[in-house]
Amino acid sequence: MALPLPSGLTHAEVAFVAEMELVTVVPRQRLESIDLLGGKTPSLRPPHRTDLPLWLALLLKKQRRANILPPAWLHPSSLAEIIRRETRDDPDAFSPPPPIPSRADPSRPGFAARQQGLDSTQDGEDGIRISAPFRGSACTADAPAGYLPYHWLEVAEALLTHAGDDIAGATAGGTTTGGGGTGSSAGEVRGLLRDLVEVRAAKMRSSTARLEGFGGGLMSLRGVGAIELAESRGFVLGVVDGVRKVGASAEAARREDEEEEGGGVGGGRGDGFGEEESDEDMGI
Amino acid sequence: MDIDDILRDVDPTFHAIPQEKRDLQALTRAWIAERSAPELLPWPSNGLFERINGNIKQQIEKVEEMTGDMDPKTNFALIVIQTELERYRYLVRSYLRARLAKLDRHALHYLSTDALRARLSEMELAYATRHQALLHNHYLSSFLSSFPAGLQNLNDAAGGISMIETPDLESAVFIRALKDTPVEGRGVDTDEAAEMQEGDIVILRWADAKSLVEAGSAELV
Repeated sequence: MALPLPSGLTHAEVAFVAEMELVTVVPRQRLESIDLLGGKTPSLRPPHRTDLPLWLALLLKKQRRANILPPAWLHPSSLAEIIRRETRDDPDAFSPPPPIPSRADPSRPGFAARQQGLDSTQDGEDGIRISAPFRGSACTADAPAGYLPYHWLEVAEALLTHAGDDIAGATAGGTTTGGGGTGSSAGEVRGLLRDLVEVRAAKMRSSTARLEGFGGGLMSLRGVGAIELAESRGFVLGVVDGVRKVGASAEAARREDEEEEGGGVGGGRGDGFGEEESDEDMGI
Repeated sequence: MDIDDILRDVDPTFHAIPQEKRDLQALTRAWIAERSAPELLPWPSNGLFERINGNIKQQIEKVEEMTGDMDPKTNFALIVIQTELERYRYLVRSYLRARLAKLDRHALHYLSTDALRARLSEMELAYATRHQALLHNHYLSSFLSSFPAGLQNLNDAAGGISMIETPDLESAVFIRALKDTPVEGRGVDTDEAAEMQEGDIVILRWADAKSLVEAGSAELV
């Protein structure tokens, strides 16, 4: 009965989580509200837009009961902008995650407050912070262009596979670069996504060069996506754990030194140990 | 939708997230955390699973009632309800199985102190205790009984080395900040401290991340 999978989410599990992201649909049929475990669905009346979880939107799409409005960041011009930023402006880091939306602060009229995921009515013990995939503003039609949300690749992939015509329809009107017919537009998005995947995969690989000297205790991967984490989790965590095990005795010695000398002069000796350790590394 | 719903939609003071959504967020987070953390995490004490299991039971009863109704409109609603039901059941099942896998691997460790036993649910505690007793009896009857009495235990700590294997609490994990928070990580060459902004993802050792995760300032991803 016990789960035989290694720790960390697998690709299939990440895709499952991504299906909880909200997307915007335009219903083609009326559908009364359904009482689900996750709360009542809004009742659908064409042509009013509604936000639904991706799994439900795909179900409606397959039955031709609704069309999906792709998020703004999936537009070719937005993707091209992100690729430009990833390759030219900042070739080392991932492009930043979407900004946290602000809302009017009711307690101080005229001021805007960053919309915290915190449930304000239940502050304290039961308050829970909401994060992806439940933020709700990452993959809907209102999502900001030019920023990739946490589940970008999974959502884009699902939309291209099951709602390719909606993506073509939404982008055909807007493209100025002249994608031509509607058919090539989904192809254009697909091509841009592939470029983006490659650019970012190269960054993930080169970040492992930083791992080689994972002497410090932290490494930030700001802006990374869920599937990219799943992809390289085994390797990255394996390297970090390996470095720790190889350097365990050096680390213990450094800590002892720091304790003895109160941390002041310990720096120099610590460096010495670091070199010794990397020599050992090469020997292996 | 009546006038109250419309008013609520435009009322900026109405931030309350409905209970169902909070439960789903909590369940998903607990599942992801349990799948990623190197050790068994405490069983949620706020009745989350009792509530979710109760809801699932009710929903199953509703499906049973609706199946008799062959109206095509309710038929589609039924498909949606069943799809969602399966998704919930998958989450719960995978969560419990991930816990069982950890419990099996280090059963004696989680049974060794009261603090660790408190992490288990009642059912898990009963399972682990009985499973361990069966296993030990089996070892006793097959080979341990021919050893001297002093060597028949499975939890000796003689010579300063405990026989009980423990999970590696220093393994690296990925965490995402849920609010702006300072974070410290111990490394081989240096220790580092940094400020995390909401949404940042960082690699560090589980032992360093644990307090942040328990305080709710960060989550495992």
